Amino acid sequence: MSGRVIVITSGKGGVGKTTASANIGVALAQTGVSVAMVDMDIGLRNLDILMGLENRVVYNLVDVIEERCKLRQALVKDKRLPNLCLLPAAQTRDKTAVNADQMKTLCNELKTLFDYVIVDSPAGIESGFQNAVAGAEEAVVITTPEMSAVRDADRIIGLLEARKDEISQYRLVLNRIRPSMVKTNDMMSVDDVLEILSIKLLGVVPEDEGIIVSTNKGEPIAGTDNTRSGLAFRNIARRLRGEDVPLMDLDELNQGWLNKVVKFFNPARA
Amino acid sequence: MQVLNWFFQRKNESVRTKAKDRMRLMLIHDRLELPADRLSSLEEELIAVVSRYFDIDRETTRFDLQQYERRAALIANFPLLRSKC
Ligand SMILES: Nc1ncnc2c1ncn2[C@@H]1O[C@H](COP(=O)(O)OP(=O)(O)OP(=O)(O)O)[C@@H](O)[C@H]1O
Ligand SMILES: [Mg+2]
Repeated sequence: MSGRVIVITSGKGGVGKTTASANIGVALAQTGVSVAMVDMDIGLRNLDILMGLENRVVYNLVDVIEERCKLRQALVKDKRLPNLCLLPAAQTRDKTAVNADQMKTLCNELKTLFDYVIVDSPAGIESGFQNAVAGAEEAVVITTPEMSAVRDADRIIGLLEARKDEISQYRLVLNRIRPSMVKTNDMMSVDDVLEILSIKLLGVVPEDEGIIVSTNKGEPIAGTDNTRSGLAFRNIARRLRGEDVPLMDLDELNQGWLNKVVKFFNPARA
Repeated sequence: MQVLNWFFQRKNESVRTKAKDRMRLMLIHDRLELPADRLSSLEEELIAVVSRYFDIDRETTRFDLQQYERRAALIANFPLLRSKC
């Protein structure tokens, strides 16, 4: 088997890399393919919490690289999806514990075991980023529509372009879109950001309090039906698999209760 | 309702447009690693050079940074009044 290694990256911190990694991992696994999620945010382990797996972590990525355990021993199985695994980051080490060559070797091994390898990267553009992208052939760039996040995303896109030989494609996920603010022209729209960054779109994820709740429960929202953000991540997973899935209607994300009532009584308006 | 919407949308048109314009300019500078004051000194020099050959209309002389995908172009427009030779 030769799986696809996809790195999730952003430049700016806190824009949703780990949230996206967990949800894309879950959503891909739900389609039936085997998935490994790799937490490369060494020293700031997070992905295990979002997946609700923090109590099952025994070994970590650095243990594997320093040969204190076998790769299979370090992989933590998901609670619900048998075809989904997590390779946790070390919490007590730092970025220097791993180098790019070791990461490449690790990803090559994971590729033989899984259809998809999703790498969550640390914020920034230094060694942590360089190591996280080292083994990847594809990248997903995450940003919010705020100027500082878009600026940092542009830096990352420049760095990915410089790695054209290794990174065959990269696409953008625009996170925390607030349709009501786009509508009143209080913030940049999806098209504005795409035009400025000149990058292809992989998906749009709305601002959703449910994401915070799902993080607290340790159950990524992509596993929950009837949520707009969950659907957004499932659509992203399908697009990664090559399906042509149309974008969600942002207006629909934004409907108030009155609109819903109108649609209930008059579905023709939906 | 339509009218109300239109009213509120107009009010803030500038916030979105402003953010987009600032963003575009900022990224052009970032990508070229161009310090903020560098362009204005180039513009002054260009005006000086063209002025050796022509009287130009300084009022309507325009410099514009445009974006083509991830590349930038500097567009200069010197309205020429008469030749100086
Ligand atoms: N679409 C969303 N709606 C609401 N909250 C969100 C959304 N996406 C992310 N968040 C919240 O934003 C915070 C940061 O998210 P996350 O940890 O995924 O970012 P990150 O890019 O991995 O951060 P870091 O750079 O520190 O690793 C979290 O509290 C998360 O719940
Ligand atoms: Mg993170």
